[in-house]
Amino acid sequence: MKWGLPALAALLLFYPFILTGPFYWDIGVAFLLAAISASAWNIVGGYAGQVSVGHSMFFGVGAYTPLLFYHLWGLPPVAGVPAGILVSLGLALVVGMPTFRLQGHYFSMATIAVAELIRIFVGTWDLVGAAIGLQGPAVGRGWWDLTFRSELPYYYIFLAVLAVVLYTTFEVERSRFGYYLRAIKAGERAARSLGVPVRETKLKALMLSALFTSLAGSLYSIKTGFIDPESGFGILVSVQMVIVAALGGAGALFGPLVGALILVPLQTATNTWFGGGGSGLTYILYGGIIVLLARFEPGGMHEWWQRVAPLLARRKHAA
Amino acid sequence: MLLSAQNVSKSFGSFLAVRGADLAVAEGEIIGLIGPNGAGKSTFFNCLAGDTVPTTGRVLFDGVDVTRSSAEVHARAGIGRTFQVPATFEDMTVLDNVMVGAFLRHRHRDDARESALRIIEMTGLARQSAQRARSLGTPGRKRLEIARVLATGPRLMLLDEALAGLTPTELQQAIALVRRIHELGMTLVIVEHIMEVIMTLAQRVLVFNQGHVIAHGKPREIVANEAVIEAYLGRGHRRRRQAP
Amino acid sequence: MLLAQVIVGGLLLGAIYALFSSGLTLIWGMMNFINFAHGEFVMLGMYVALLVVVWLGGGPAAFGFAAAFALFVLGVVVYLSLIRHVMRGPMLAQILSTFGLALLLRYTAFWIFSANFVSLPQVSLSGTLNVAGILMPVPQLVAGVAAIALTFALHLLLTRTTVGSQLLAVAEDRNAAMLMGIRPDRMQALAWGLAAGSAGIAGALMAMSYPWSPSVGETFGLTAFVVVTLGGFGSVPGAMYAGLIIGLIQALSAYWFGPIYKDIVVYALFVALLWLRPQGLMGKA
Repeated sequence: MKWGLPALAALLLFYPFILTGPFYWDIGVAFLLAAISASAWNIVGGYAGQVSVGHSMFFGVGAYTPLLFYHLWGLPPVAGVPAGILVSLGLALVVGMPTFRLQGHYFSMATIAVAELIRIFVGTWDLVGAAIGLQGPAVGRGWWDLTFRSELPYYYIFLAVLAVVLYTTFEVERSRFGYYLRAIKAGERAARSLGVPVRETKLKALMLSALFTSLAGSLYSIKTGFIDPESGFGILVSVQMVIVAALGGAGALFGPLVGALILVPLQTATNTWFGGGGSGLTYILYGGIIVLLARFEPGGMHEWWQRVAPLLARRKHAA
Repeated sequence: MLLSAQNVSKSFGSFLAVRGADLAVAEGEIIGLIGPNGAGKSTFFNCLAGDTVPTTGRVLFDGVDVTRSSAEVHARAGIGRTFQVPATFEDMTVLDNVMVGAFLRHRHRDDARESALRIIEMTGLARQSAQRARSLGTPGRKRLEIARVLATGPRLMLLDEALAGLTPTELQQAIALVRRIHELGMTLVIVEHIMEVIMTLAQRVLVFNQGHVIAHGKPREIVANEAVIEAYLGRGHRRRRQAP
Repeated sequence: MLLAQVIVGGLLLGAIYALFSSGLTLIWGMMNFINFAHGEFVMLGMYVALLVVVWLGGGPAAFGFAAAFALFVLGVVVYLSLIRHVMRGPMLAQILSTFGLALLLRYTAFWIFSANFVSLPQVSLSGTLNVAGILMPVPQLVAGVAAIALTFALHLLLTRTTVGSQLLAVAEDRNAAMLMGIRPDRMQALAWGLAAGSAGIAGALMAMSYPWSPSVGETFGLTAFVVVTLGGFGSVPGAMYAGLIIGLIQALSAYWFGPIYKDIVVYALFVALLWLRPQGLMGKA
């Protein structure tokens, strides 16, 4: 698919000029954010097969630190981004180090427990806004506050970050680290017997994933100018990352992108149909989709396409 | 001695799978390990490979005590093993499978790839190198496992029934492959049920029964050993011996 | 003696934790499978109890039995339609299956019952006992005692009956069990029924004393994870002790630090457990 990648890049680059106006730009930004966080999750959940269902812990940390830096010290929110990353990396170690030497379930259980722990704790801590949360600068004091009136600048910032995440994943895929990740997912015992440093590799994957997820959280709170325990650390944040990656294809480079392409417009549509109180229906749908994926096509659209494409090609040739 | 196991025992709760097993393998030897099912051969193998930690005893590789070391450490030290039930990376291609092994000795993708391709050529998997491991049959998977572990550049290979379930032609090819590997300087410990393999390849044979070594010596001696025949070899071989 | 009261209250609630966690650990030990929707089974048990009281005017025996039965059926159905197929597949599919199921059950409950907290309107068990200065509300006391009895009954079922030994045989060695004529599939379906049923009845017992909403499933699920980890992989006796301990720790945390902290302490304990003693009380190192 030689023309595929440049075409995709062009499409993403010019989308805001193809579909113009705040409504479409808003969807575009939501799509990019979903793609970034799902791609970040994909590194540890898709490639390494270590299923985190509490990734909101990294997202929330990344979302809180910029607004915290502003709230406490009046600094531009961007200044808080590195701090968010550092804390997220620390969290990754706290969660990963004990659980990666045990069977897989412990890691998954731990992610959800720690995310919940942080969510409740942050909700009681006045320093970080407790249940009310934090706000960013209402009006920018300069360009460095990144408070743009229009969605357009955000779109391109997010697009740049997505490009970085995807490129990093691409390089990982081709490296020894990437092969080791896939080996661990495919058969940990066999991987060990070939000298793969399993625990170390899993930790590296989790830390890389945490880094990008934290970044995604920072982008989110800088753009919306607001964060609270639910929107930062809530389980639905974790669910979103998992379903977007899994639907498109966990462990495939463009899987999260495909997943975001399907789910973001879908979510916009269902929120319109079902209305505000019907957001519960959206999650019934999400639950159903996840169960169906698990039961029939855990590899997501990527796997489905790999099975179907050769059959279609054959039919084309026969015709 | 390249590999030596001294008084190795392994118990699972109250069940003693291996008791007081000894093994001494010199560099360049091919040792055969035989015994009835459930005799503890695979568990002993797992102790040698670092998959399980022995309850008592020691395992030394090239003078270094690896008793409590993990399988990863064993692999890096130069002990490679295959699995009784092939554990290939199903969704990865043959080439990628072997590359995972090659990455132990080569940091960079291109070097690992080159090394893997050479080994794939040598083990006769060249035609299937782009296929997913899951599309290979059991014989193909067993050969892939051998190729993959070869790529890690071991000094000693533990083959766990790597030649089982093959057609006569495939068996001859497999025996030839093992010979070629041995000629390259590999030390081998082979668990097998197929007597032909043991007789043609093994220089020395250890017989396991109920967790410990009941006999060991040259293949011909073992075959003539009454205790061994009673414990294991059974009717099949006896009939062949009695035939004119 | 407020502290003594807190301790007793914690133990009584812990007994209920023990009951629903023992089902989770049974499945884990038997099939190496963690049910991420287990908390939702408890939550559904609570709603079944509510429906029995509101529609049928039933008493504790009625709604207890109804919850156990309804969830038993759900457990078997979930196993046959979903779990059986994902069990042998990749880890992602296994975890997503019950994680997705949890979402499905939780948000369906939100849709049907709304997010409001409800209580069980029941009159038959009421009043408070005063034992040596410790006040024990009758519903809580009955629930706690019943929970311990049922957990113990489950333990006896597993260790003293033929069916129990068959379940354990499948847990121990699936292939060997098959050779003995035991059908692993059937046993696993039964285990899921028992696990879900015990979660359901635990919910009904809890409904007698505590208000709830569909959101409680998430908390119960996490509590169950902590209990089974503390108890040790696959150990029902372990889950029994661990449940009591966790209930106690939770009550003491609320008492000493404030109600907000009761879950925080338990989850923090979980992390500490993973670092220091992941095999828990009864597991092997």
